[in-house]
Amino acid sequence: MTDFKQLLHLLSTSKVDFILVGGMAATVHGAARLTQDLDVVYSRSQANLERLAAALAPYQPYLRGAPLGLPFRWDAATLERGLNFTLTTTLGDLDLLGEITGGGGYGDLVSHSIPIEIFGEICRCLDLPALIQAKRAAGRPRDLEALAELEALLEERRRLDSTNP
Amino acid sequence: MPDSDLPPAPDPVVELYKQGVDRTLLRQNLRRSVDERILNLMDLQRLAEELRRAGQRSRDQRR
Repeated sequence: MTDFKQLLHLLSTSKVDFILVGGMAATVHGAARLTQDLDVVYSRSQANLERLAAALAPYQPYLRGAPLGLPFRWDAATLERGLNFTLTTTLGDLDLLGEITGGGGYGDLVSHSIPIEIFGEICRCLDLPALIQAKRAAGRPRDLEALAELEALLEERRRLDSTNP
Repeated sequence: MPDSDLPPAPDPVVELYKQGVDRTLLRQNLRRSVDERILNLMDLQRLAEELRRAGQRSRDQRR
């Protein structure tokens, strides 16, 4: 089980530059689907890689699904050499994404994200229209139900906005 | 990324899937705070995990 509250608190208080995407971003916007992991797009600046590596180090990050005992070294250099990391941690599953299909990296997405207060911390979350665009661009058949829910959610929000201007 | 303020053009396949979306759940969630939505998700995760364990126990007992 993923402790979303703790993971978000950890990233925020460690001053990591990240944007919530994927299932957790959908939940933040009001989606009802169950998601198992936390997906974030992170800034690839050197300082941010250092902050991210230091923040997660105590929580034993390891490559999800990889055999145990691989010589996986968790540090900023590893983050710099890779791009997208699907990890297990003692706080739960965490996907660190350098880029997402149809959206690009942190710098491309930041203007399509909104600051949201979550458990007392301000986190950036991809806005709903951008989340829909990213899901559409990914073009995965398994995402069709999630995409339909996001579009319905956008309609519901617009309906609410028009009745409560 | 293109301007996300524009409404997406309808996709006929997604429109079909949209008919199966339970909007009462969405409306209920929209009335909740963001923190409540996340705590609710974590409760659902716990329930799903417990159901998985119960299923596993049941399969083990039948063996």
